[in-house]
Amino acid sequence: MRAWGGEWVEALKKGVSDRFTEMTGISVRHDLTEDNEIQPKLWAAVAQGRVPPIHVNWDTTTNATKSALRGVTEDLSDLSNLANTTDLAKPVGLDGYPIVNTYGYVYVLAYRPEAFPDGPPKSWRDLLDPKFKGRIALYNDGIGFHFPAQVAGGGSLDGIPDHMEPCWEFVREIKKQNPLLGEDPDFTTWFQNGEIDAACTISTNALAAKKNGVDLAWTVPAEGCKFDTDCLWVPKNLPENEAYWAKQYVNLALSQESQQIWLDGLGLPGVVPGLTPPPGLENDPSYPTKPEDFKHLIRISSAVQVQNESDWFAKFKEIMQG
Amino acid sequence: MPETTSQEEASKAFRYPLRWRVMDALNAGLDRLWPARMMPYTGWALITPALLLVGLLVLGLFQMADSSLHTLDRATFLPSEGYTLENYQTVFENATYGRIIWRSVLAAVLTVFFTLLLALPYSYIMVRTSSSAVRKALLVVLFLPFFIGQVVRAYGLLIILGTTGVANNALGLVGIEPIRLLFNFPAVVFGLVQYMLPFAVLMLAPALTAIPRETETAAASLGANWFRTFRHVVIPMAKPGLIGAGLVVGTLALTDFAMPAMLGGGSQDFIANAIYDQFFRTADQGLGAALALLLVVLGSVFVGIVISIFGAGTLGMGGKK
Amino acid sequence: MTATSQRILFWTTVWFCILILSVPTIIVVGASFTTSNMISFPPEGFTFKWYEKIALARDLQQAFFRSLYVSTACLIVSVPVGTLAGLALSRFRIRFSNMIQVYLLLPFTVPLIGSGIGMMLIFGEWRILGSLWPIGVALAVINLPFIIWSVSSAAGALDSDLELAASSCGAGRFETFWYVTLPGIMPGVITGGLLMFVLAMSEFLVSLLLTDARTVTLPVQIYNNIRSIITPDLAAVSSVFVVIALIVVWLLDRLVGLEIFLKSK
Repeated sequence: MRAWGGEWVEALKKGVSDRFTEMTGISVRHDLTEDNEIQPKLWAAVAQGRVPPIHVNWDTTTNATKSALRGVTEDLSDLSNLANTTDLAKPVGLDGYPIVNTYGYVYVLAYRPEAFPDGPPKSWRDLLDPKFKGRIALYNDGIGFHFPAQVAGGGSLDGIPDHMEPCWEFVREIKKQNPLLGEDPDFTTWFQNGEIDAACTISTNALAAKKNGVDLAWTVPAEGCKFDTDCLWVPKNLPENEAYWAKQYVNLALSQESQQIWLDGLGLPGVVPGLTPPPGLENDPSYPTKPEDFKHLIRISSAVQVQNESDWFAKFKEIMQG
Repeated sequence: MPETTSQEEASKAFRYPLRWRVMDALNAGLDRLWPARMMPYTGWALITPALLLVGLLVLGLFQMADSSLHTLDRATFLPSEGYTLENYQTVFENATYGRIIWRSVLAAVLTVFFTLLLALPYSYIMVRTSSSAVRKALLVVLFLPFFIGQVVRAYGLLIILGTTGVANNALGLVGIEPIRLLFNFPAVVFGLVQYMLPFAVLMLAPALTAIPRETETAAASLGANWFRTFRHVVIPMAKPGLIGAGLVVGTLALTDFAMPAMLGGGSQDFIANAIYDQFFRTADQGLGAALALLLVVLGSVFVGIVISIFGAGTLGMGGKK
Repeated sequence: MTATSQRILFWTTVWFCILILSVPTIIVVGASFTTSNMISFPPEGFTFKWYEKIALARDLQQAFFRSLYVSTACLIVSVPVGTLAGLALSRFRIRFSNMIQVYLLLPFTVPLIGSGIGMMLIFGEWRILGSLWPIGVALAVINLPFIIWSVSSAAGALDSDLELAASSCGAGRFETFWYVTLPGIMPGVITGGLLMFVLAMSEFLVSLLLTDARTVTLPVQIYNNIRSIITPDLAAVSSVFVVIALIVVWLLDRLVGLEIFLKSK
């Protein structure tokens, strides 16, 4: 089982792995290799006809879609618990269930309240205030930021992927603010060490930093935030019985009870109806459940994303490395 | 053991000690396996295992070369069928890569310069000091950082140089406002120098030891001041060590990944970071492989030029002339 | 003997080096005693709880022993290979030696990510991925220039007349090697071997591509943990390493004398 470390794996262990072991007697080992870094290992294993190094991959839907398109994932459409899931579980733009989404998350604007004495930032443009020069952070490929930037730059979401000039215009403006660029762990470190005042990051990271005593809040500005999903999938080339148990693991992860425990740990909305939000996250913008919650969130199909992501990353890098 | 055996046996018949016989047997074996007429090829025989071991990398490079000639099909995320040079074209046409390559080269050169600048006095004092305790202390200081690895060390630097870190607190004591010391080009170079310093000192020290102290004394007695002695006597004699250390530091810095990733704040990428992005983030192995091969060529040309200017035996430090 | 200005300049540099070399280590060791859940310096309060935590963490211990195994495998491969190559480069006239040196520096000119991906594909093709020993071989490859360099620098300084003398006194080729050459290059072999071992204990990028959950080694474990949230137990692990390092250095000093690293003959 591949998982992200820290809070992420703790939550998974409590919600799914421990219950799986309890029910089947099979102990679960967690491989903490990053999703990006396990991908070439899995692809090479399937291409060379070897048994892949893991049984279940916990992955971003975008990355998993690439694997599904490449044909290295097992079909999951016969899982019994799929019957009880919402539309969110179904991967957009793929046939059947080569992967199955397990929860959604929001790339929020996280900020330190003391840096925003007038209340939460209302717009992504607030970050252009000269006092935030060198004090804001984005993902180093710009993920999560492209779509709100498109709106903030005066463009419309219909312009994705063909007319993204407004987005790049806004990224150029942001570049003048010398943002720090990093990955999940960097944001936590930077907030903690007082290096930054605001960041575009997944709400879970903000939540984790807050739990560790960093004074932090988050918001969805007027232009909206990117909403995306994570998923589970089973690689091909596993021995038959191992593939069976791997699927059972995914099935268990979709059960009401597992979703409740697992996602309480992550503070994220799941894919089965009737989950109770963790305390403090009810009506929080990072925990969308009702249709009106989604009004400010931007969801772009993963098919469009995987087609164009490389170009977006390259363009973002081109501006930022200048 | 051999002595008792030989004493016991000496009473029966005269025989050479066991150790001699083992040696003779080994010699005979060697003579049969590798007769003296093969002597001119001994060098090749000794170096072959190393050539084969590095051959593992070359096999990997062939795989890379192959995948660099296919583009990624974004509908299936499989490499294209036909062979094409498109990936190389992408690299050469994209201004970002040019900037990143230039940045890596510049950082490598600066790192070599500053590392040697620091390593030379350090090794000199370590070799020349008369106190064995001082020498040992300097060696221990050198060895400890090796054991905690590059990532953890970089993390230590993050804490020290941070806006609220120790360095800025110290500046605060003398009334200087906190400044951003991290996440820029100098920070990355500083991290690299810190990482490379022990390697450089270890490579320089034997070369300096080999310089007889008398040579320096002689120069001084002829009226040369220390600076001139150092410049005209010590540095030329330590040249093989300097070149060796420079090569190692330069190539390692050129291909480094962790320091720019951790201390660069995301806007100071080196070639290795761009390769990482292609392989792991956008799953475009062909483009990543093309970049990796270009980096290998760049590094090898650099090594080749240095070796051909300063002569063979720099890695081997004063090999057979 | 040395001029005052030289002494001041050199010692200032040396103190600067000592500072930049040791401060990160001190910070990391200090941070391992903090009571807060985040690495911070100066540490808040004082506790051994992170040491308690890693003492109980079986996965860390297993990873540590795997690392020892891998590093030993790396030594077994690299010491003989590197010693022979070092001798060849310094004692024998080899044609194309410039090209050979460029070739032997490939482990440094190929970026580690490239080496890792390449060897992952090769080892996968050979169906040896998933065992521990190939990781040792891989680490021997990527750090090989270090041991070749240290052996050849020791051998280059060794007077070849000594070997001639031995053989003219009737010593066979093997005896000459065993009694004259080998002791002469021993300092280089020890320096190189130690470097190989230590670097193998802390290499993470190539190892990452060659390990899986069953064979994960300590540096990979640390790297993966750092990628999520950084807690003081990692500082504690590093501190344990520092203690081990001190013990190793002390042992080495007792056994062969630390000065061996400075000797070239």
